[in-house]
Amino acid sequence: MSEWQPGFEPKILAFACNWCSYAAADLAGTARMQYPTNIRIIRVMCSGMVHPGLVTEAFQAGADGVLVMGCHLGECHYQDGNHKAKARLAVIDEMLSLLGLEQERFRLIWYSSAESERFAAVAREVTDVLKKLGPSPYRRDASEYADKGIIQCL
Amino acid sequence: MTLTELERVDGEAGNFTVSLRKHPRYVDIDKCIACGRCVEKCPRQVRDEFNRYTDSRKAIYLKYPQAAPLKYQIDARHCIRMRGGRCAECEKACPRGAIRFDDSEQQVEVKVGSIILAPGFQPFDPFELGAWGFGRFRNVMTGMEFERLLAVSGPTSGNVLRPSDGKPVRKMAFLQCIGSRNYNQIHKSYCSAVCCMYAIKQAMIALENNKDLRISVFYVDVRTHGKDFERFYDKARQKGISFHRCRVHSVEPSESANEVCLRYMTENGKQVSENFEIVVLSVGMETNFETTLLAERTGIELTPEGFASTSCFAPVATSRPGIFACGAFTGPKDIPLSVIEASASATAAAVRLSDVRYSQSHTRQFPPERKTGEEDPRIGVFICKCGSNIAEVVRVRDLARYAETLPHVVFVETSLFACSQDSQELIKKRIGDEGLNRIVIASCTPRTHEQLFRETLKASGLNECLVEMANIRNQLAWVHSSEPEAANAKAMDLIRMAVAKAALLEPVPAVSVRITPQALVIGGGVAGMVASLELADQGFPVHLVEKAAQLGGNARHLFRTWKNDPVPSYIETLSTRIREHSLISVHLKSTVFDAEGFVGSFRSVVQKPTGNVAVDHGVTILATGAQAFKPNEYDYGLSQNIFTSLEFDKLHSAGDERILNGLNFVFIQCVGSREPERNYCSRVCCTHSIQSAIALKEGNRDRKVFVLYRDIRTYGLREELYRRARELGVIFINYEAHQKPNVVMKEENLEVIVWDHVLHEPFSIPADVIVLATAVVANPETKELAKLYKLPLDMDGFLQEAHVKLRPVDFATDGVFLAGLAHYPKPTEETIAQAQAAVARAVTVLSSRWIGLDLVKGRVDENKCDCCALCLDVCPYGALAVERERLDAGAEGAAPKQKLVVRAAKCKGCGFCQATCPKEGISVTGFSYRQLSAQVRAALDCG
Amino acid sequence: MPVTIAAEVLSGCTGCEIALLNTGDGFLKLLDRIEIVHMPLLMDSKYFGPDEGSEEIDIPRSDIGFISGSIRNREQLLLARTMRERCGVIVAFGTCAAYGGIPALINLFDNKDLFRRYYRTAEATDSASSPCEVVPPLLDRTFALDEKIEVDAFIPGCPPHPDSIADALDRLIEGRLPETPVQSVCDACPAKREGKGTVQKIKRFLKNARYQPEKPLGEMRCLLEQGLLCIGPVTQAGCSGKSGCAPRCIQARVPCRGCYGPVRRGGNQLLDMLNALASNGIDTKNLPDRLSMLRFSGAHSMLPRQVRKPSS
Repeated sequence: MSEWQPGFEPKILAFACNWCSYAAADLAGTARMQYPTNIRIIRVMCSGMVHPGLVTEAFQAGADGVLVMGCHLGECHYQDGNHKAKARLAVIDEMLSLLGLEQERFRLIWYSSAESERFAAVAREVTDVLKKLGPSPYRRDASEYADKGIIQCL
Repeated sequence: MTLTELERVDGEAGNFTVSLRKHPRYVDIDKCIACGRCVEKCPRQVRDEFNRYTDSRKAIYLKYPQAAPLKYQIDARHCIRMRGGRCAECEKACPRGAIRFDDSEQQVEVKVGSIILAPGFQPFDPFELGAWGFGRFRNVMTGMEFERLLAVSGPTSGNVLRPSDGKPVRKMAFLQCIGSRNYNQIHKSYCSAVCCMYAIKQAMIALENNKDLRISVFYVDVRTHGKDFERFYDKARQKGISFHRCRVHSVEPSESANEVCLRYMTENGKQVSENFEIVVLSVGMETNFETTLLAERTGIELTPEGFASTSCFAPVATSRPGIFACGAFTGPKDIPLSVIEASASATAAAVRLSDVRYSQSHTRQFPPERKTGEEDPRIGVFICKCGSNIAEVVRVRDLARYAETLPHVVFVETSLFACSQDSQELIKKRIGDEGLNRIVIASCTPRTHEQLFRETLKASGLNECLVEMANIRNQLAWVHSSEPEAANAKAMDLIRMAVAKAALLEPVPAVSVRITPQALVIGGGVAGMVASLELADQGFPVHLVEKAAQLGGNARHLFRTWKNDPVPSYIETLSTRIREHSLISVHLKSTVFDAEGFVGSFRSVVQKPTGNVAVDHGVTILATGAQAFKPNEYDYGLSQNIFTSLEFDKLHSAGDERILNGLNFVFIQCVGSREPERNYCSRVCCTHSIQSAIALKEGNRDRKVFVLYRDIRTYGLREELYRRARELGVIFINYEAHQKPNVVMKEENLEVIVWDHVLHEPFSIPADVIVLATAVVANPETKELAKLYKLPLDMDGFLQEAHVKLRPVDFATDGVFLAGLAHYPKPTEETIAQAQAAVARAVTVLSSRWIGLDLVKGRVDENKCDCCALCLDVCPYGALAVERERLDAGAEGAAPKQKLVVRAAKCKGCGFCQATCPKEGISVTGFSYRQLSAQVRAALDCG
Repeated sequence: MPVTIAAEVLSGCTGCEIALLNTGDGFLKLLDRIEIVHMPLLMDSKYFGPDEGSEEIDIPRSDIGFISGSIRNREQLLLARTMRERCGVIVAFGTCAAYGGIPALINLFDNKDLFRRYYRTAEATDSASSPCEVVPPLLDRTFALDEKIEVDAFIPGCPPHPDSIADALDRLIEGRLPETPVQSVCDACPAKREGKGTVQKIKRFLKNARYQPEKPLGEMRCLLEQGLLCIGPVTQAGCSGKSGCAPRCIQARVPCRGCYGPVRRGGNQLLDMLNALASNGIDTKNLPDRLSMLRFSGAHSMLPRQVRKPSS
């Protein structure tokens, strides 16, 4: 458990593939499932179109957690985009350690468009994990670093 | 037309009048926005038939979350109001006034040229038979019920729990052939063709959920005859799923209410009883009463088993001209084959209608597009209340005020329903009056409504790419209704993100490609011939390229289909029609040796004996066939009495005396198939051998005919042949891969030694003739063609389609299609259906003069791209290429410029290139790095 | 009136200054338009007043300040801040100033590691205590200039090509800022590109490229496509100057090592390169010399240790 301020609300960004997780998130709405508000979804056409630079950028801009959501392996709308996302996982892990961030802050998750329940469950779980982990150091210092141009350059 | 039934068909092919009865939905589908408020309020609980009654739904409901159209319906049998009560909860709850309690049945007449019947099947209900403890033990369920248990959207969220007490399962069994291959009890002799595979699939999923689960499958024959199925079966065995060749006849109670007891015989002949917690009955398919009625009303013939009667040569044509059938209605089949038949029936239905193509359709006209390239962004934000769906969670007025403060936003408006006709008109007016050039719609999901708003933009003279949606309903109001304050803050974030992205949106001109309305068909076997004829019959010129000196391919070696239709005369008819068809140019002794281009405009070079010809074509169909395997086991080639199936057929039909006078025949199955180096089932050989065995027996009842097999795979209606063969006294002996039969050459005759599973000792069979059922192997020349058209091959050398189930005749590359044995071993009627399906897909291209390309595409920024070519091989569609200036230009050492180009017709906008590029040299419309990065920063409120 | 120039060398090797001299005739032509008011490398400068009596560092006011080298210790930080204060325009001169350069390789380790390894273990010298008198107090890592002071222009390169230096001076004298190229090394590279798809593994740096010496560079296959770790795609162009020739290392038929820093300001050479390799299905986990991709840009991209939380 972290000793950071109670009531801390993590900011979580999720790149969601149009064909699976984005649809599952829509479906979670149709079914009125409730999950924490911390997650902000950015719609992409495929998990394979998410440049790892966007992930590091999000962390440097103060995200407490970043998720990339793609279709189950073998179910990619564009053949093998999710495999590409998977191959990039190692790169992102390495960047996290260079940035001094915990690996738990990033996750690559597979969905099908029907898995609305799971979408909500993962949103709950990830929020929980990040709450325990505490704020990202970049978030606390974001404004200070922004002044010196580090955010653009890190 | 949902909830609609066919009542009568009058007229004839080309001119039918169909009487339809539309049942009431009691919900106006034009008004329903699928918000689901009615369901919340509906007081009536009903058991949910979609989840196989394992949980409940309301009387107003969606059958399942992905239903199309996504509109609710009232189940009048259970609705309190419809049954005379006073309830009107749904009517009160509906924000759009979509409830119509007074909705009534309607009679509709439509005039059509062709009719396609696709009524599907119903799963066998084991309750009828009262066997296997179904209905008696809670933990005995059908495969369909188990499927719902495995579904993450199902009643247990994908956890395999015992229905008896909701505890996780540790041990379970699948019983195969429930309601199939059971002539004695239920007069269903056919095989349902899909149950082996679905049982294995379910077992694998269950195992994935729970690694410690122990699973047994009790089967008669494992029928994994589809593409890549055999490997899946192997994997299941490697994962520890045990398979028992044994029919379990009774399910008995055990001491525990959570278990049942199965008695069965092991491979070694030992009687065993074992307890299981869940028993899944792998139920088969059958035609239901409504379907029989439909057949009666449409006046088509059914087979004795109750399926639509078709010929092998016209696999989707029913007995009544102009009426076609597809899917499980023509016999039990899996998804790929159903999809193939669906397309095939579209072709069959369209051939007659090709003259009147487009006579009933209209094209929408749009005003000319305003140029916005140089203008600064002027963003208009439209916030939808969605009745109260959004407004009751989010303070829409605050949201609007907030939106006004965002950069580039010049206009903000709220509306009750942004998607309504009047709101659309208003948005159009605002775009004109306020000079808006970027639009943000904060409402529901772009997945359902983006297209609508794009049309609105087009109608206002704005480029359709200049709209961005903020999903504040499905992904906000609906999921955060319990935390309105936090939801309000998040709504602001979502609008800020959408505005940030919108400011960077760029207009993209619509791109279309001219179509050369001509096809190239490669391969002149049955698939190629059928494809050519069906295309030409619809008025499209065809170039048919065949490497041999005559048409016919492998079918020239076949005599009868399994339904006993004569193949040679069929081939003769096809070749004559092709020769005489004015639109078909046949290139014999020819091969394609070069190709370039993309959908709509390919150019291939055909190498003919007389020289090379360049052919322009809009589509390509690959029907390059396969070959018969030449075995190197069972002493093939060492005796004059050992043949492959095809050789045997020839000698048999020619009246060769070895066969005429032979009394002892042994067929050995799976020669070359299901081997480590060719780990697939050749699909046709079991049926083929059994057909020959029957002919031998029918020719002379005194002959002894043995079939040595691993699993008999007479799938679907072919099972009837297997039954008949056994009736005729053909002896079937099972062998295992590790204990193959031995062929011994004696001086007088041959002898086959096989392990006898009943006597548990070797059994020797004297043989006059041995027939080897050899594998179908990929045509090695397909590899070269695949390279030319940049198509993938599977590990066995067959062409790899775009999607095994959903796009069985397409490739990821547009405009290229496949049919026949080049895809996978298959019998004649499946080949014909696939050829027709390829034609249906090809005609979707050929029938337009221009093909409009999707606007989400990769675009190279020439100022930024340095052509490092890192993205080149990342593209799954071969849409990227490096163009290179000539080397001789320029001074010594000067760099010849290389340039990256996107072949727009091949690009599908997946963005793998963009995510690879180190410097934004290539971007996907609407999802560029800059736009996504703007969203990231806006989300974190960090400039 | 000539434009006044001050120049400082921080944590660097003075190679950039040698490159400045290498501008040759061009530099001589400029001499009557500029006046160098401070350049410890060429002229005697007294930081603490003529008699070294002042408490504060003194650098003459000037129009343009050239700073090469990165910031590693408090003295350098002070110098950089003073330069910022006294100069109208600050130019980060060379890759060390712009991106940290070779001195930023220390960012792989923290100071504790450094002291332990280089001062206290027997393998280096006689074990001694950490230096405190001769060496000014160290900062916790090496910084590029723009992490500590505002920078107006960047002339990257290790060292920068004399053409770019001359060009930059020209513009600065006219009161304009030098332009930074947006192209990568690949832009000027003539090697044949056909796709990276055939590469499975990246070879060790010592392996030689395959080529025919008598044939022009344009006949040679892209080095990356030969499986050599060439980081040209993520590296800023400029090393061949205005000659229109191929990039310098490529001329020698060895892969680009990235000395001009990231092609995109804010880009990360390691991230972008690993990503591109991973996207092409190349195994990045077992890549040899992976951190070498940050050999020149370790200030921004490597180990900002101070933000790492204590691993409790």
